[in-house]
Amino acid sequence: MMESSPRISATAPMAAVPRFAAEARRNRALFANFFKRELTTRYLGSATGLAWALLHPLALLAVYYFVFTTIFRAGSYGGKSFLLFVAVALWPWLAAQEGLQRATVSLANYAGLIRKVAFPHELAVYASVGATLALQFAGYLTVLVALAAFGEPVRFEGLLLAVPLWLILALALTGLALFLGALQVFIRDVEHIVMPVLMILMYLTPILYPLTLVPERVRPWVAANPFGWLVERLRDALLDGKLALQWGDAVALGVALALFLGGRWVFRRLSPHFEDFL
Amino acid sequence: MSDATAALLRLDGVGKDYAKVDVRGGRVRLVWDLLRGRAAARVFRALDGVGFELRRGESLGIIGENGAGKSTLLKVVAGVIEPTRGRVAVGGRVGALLELGSGFHPEYTGLANIDLAAALLGLSPADIAAKRDEIIAFADIGDHINDPIKHYSSGMVVRLGFAVATTLTPDVLITDEVLAVGDESFQKKCVAWMENYLGGGGTLLLCSHSMYHVQKLCRSALWLKGGRVERYGAAADVTQAYLAYHEEKSAAAKQPMAAASAAAAGVYAVQRLDLSPGASIAQGGELRLAGEVFSPDGRAPVVLVGIVRADGTPVYGVATDMDGVTPRRVAADRYAFALTLPHLELLPGKYLVRAHALDPAGVRLFDHVERAFVVTGETREMGLVRLAHRWNDEDPAPCGDSPPR
Repeated sequence: MMESSPRISATAPMAAVPRFAAEARRNRALFANFFKRELTTRYLGSATGLAWALLHPLALLAVYYFVFTTIFRAGSYGGKSFLLFVAVALWPWLAAQEGLQRATVSLANYAGLIRKVAFPHELAVYASVGATLALQFAGYLTVLVALAAFGEPVRFEGLLLAVPLWLILALALTGLALFLGALQVFIRDVEHIVMPVLMILMYLTPILYPLTLVPERVRPWVAANPFGWLVERLRDALLDGKLALQWGDAVALGVALALFLGGRWVFRRLSPHFEDFL
Repeated sequence: MSDATAALLRLDGVGKDYAKVDVRGGRVRLVWDLLRGRAAARVFRALDGVGFELRRGESLGIIGENGAGKSTLLKVVAGVIEPTRGRVAVGGRVGALLELGSGFHPEYTGLANIDLAAALLGLSPADIAAKRDEIIAFADIGDHINDPIKHYSSGMVVRLGFAVATTLTPDVLITDEVLAVGDESFQKKCVAWMENYLGGGGTLLLCSHSMYHVQKLCRSALWLKGGRVERYGAAADVTQAYLAYHEEKSAAAKQPMAAASAAAAGVYAVQRLDLSPGASIAQGGELRLAGEVFSPDGRAPVVLVGIVRADGTPVYGVATDMDGVTPRRVAADRYAFALTLPHLELLPGKYLVRAHALDPAGVRLFDHVERAFVVTGETREMGLVRLAHRWNDEDPAPCGDSPPR
């Protein structure tokens, strides 16, 4: 075409010929910048900086230890430590909860850019969800190591399954985050609905209790919760060292992919109008 | 290699609608409409049918009143928003400087913001590192580069913004009224950069309220009015038409009620006023006026002719009695007058000529009739009239000592 060099014209927002490679590289650089920004702004101004990302889960773990062993005296469940039983499920949930809450309002933080500069708005959501998941996963590993150090029987080989499970979670969360984030730009009620819904879902999911304690009548309903499925699989892997794949894993991957594609479709439909409503 | 004849930027029938949601629940409905791929039910048409072409090395000024759609147009060109209708084709890297410090994060240091801006433009980390020092040198804000932007003075934000936008040498530079900021020395630096950029074949899209800047920096101009192109062409023509429109508009606001039919009331009244060669006259040409005045008592009235700019600013006025002239009697109650202005050195623009009828003593002013005319021409001189002048470049001695030529 008419460019003086391919690299320069490739960044034109509406170039007649799409130049995917250069665009992809630009988006990677931009994502890296946003991701760094997300990580640092969360702990900017705090004295300990990023170390807080690891101290926070340990502090939380200490609280749960106190509550479960000293107050509820639920020392063990089915021969396993109740603390480990909860910890394995709680961090993925915290990741999901925080990820959705932050991503829902993430676009507002980029309002200045969205109104003035051309860039794919999705990157803001990806960076928000990515930063939350990265920090929470780091916290998860810290907690597992801490528990093992205190003599809890953590099956670390279970990470071979746990990591792919987190990736499935990430895919599904990103889809939901795209959907909620785009909706929030137009309808400000979304953020106020998301919070209580997540709160209710937490207690409806077998995180703080085993599924076997749920009365028979409602057990199928609780078991149908996709997050409950994830929790069960994580416990299989990290508590029992069961690594065999199931058909359910493929279904979960399919559901996560559908959520991602659906969320992205909604996001792309609405994103051209963000500039006017942010 | 670059192709000088191909359009770097081309807009065809570009329109942009903004959804209007003012009723409760309107936003939910809007989202539903957008998801189904439908247009919003109620829209505000910010741009409609805008088209222009910008070739490499050309410069275009966008002018218009507030709310005419200038910023929307620049955003469409910069790719910040997608047009609702029409096509935008860009054949190069667009560097947009939309509003001061846009794209800067206030919590971030100047350096971190340079990295962000460069990433937004699609530069790789290696390119960014290479350009960083150049940007810091141009911005020239010293150690403040390591402070968060929120602690900057507005002038420093502008310096950094301009440095970022210009150092990354875009193919098309879009600026939105940012030339007139910063201190004196930085302004000079900006203008020097701009002239150098344009001289070196850079392409500029300038949105400005300063006709001076548009005429100085742009070859062509586009006047937006209510989202539509009112006029598009040579910068001199378009800016003159725009200024004339404004002059008329402010005059219309001041215009008193039209004088009642003075003749019917039995007072001295101008009945006819003709202009030749017509309502349009070239600068420096000859303007002839002729007309008739009604006299209720048959005595010769005094005629006062004045020229005002379209906004009502007086330029010159002269009456028959000042020059010892009496209008010529053509009927029992009618007198004729004719006035010639041989070298009309009014600067291009819209003007009005007014003929007033006064009583024979030249004291009471009864009535006036006015005709509009346009002075055409191309000049960058300023003001109302061209005054006779001479630059004494050969002889720098003080005027009093200069020998007559």
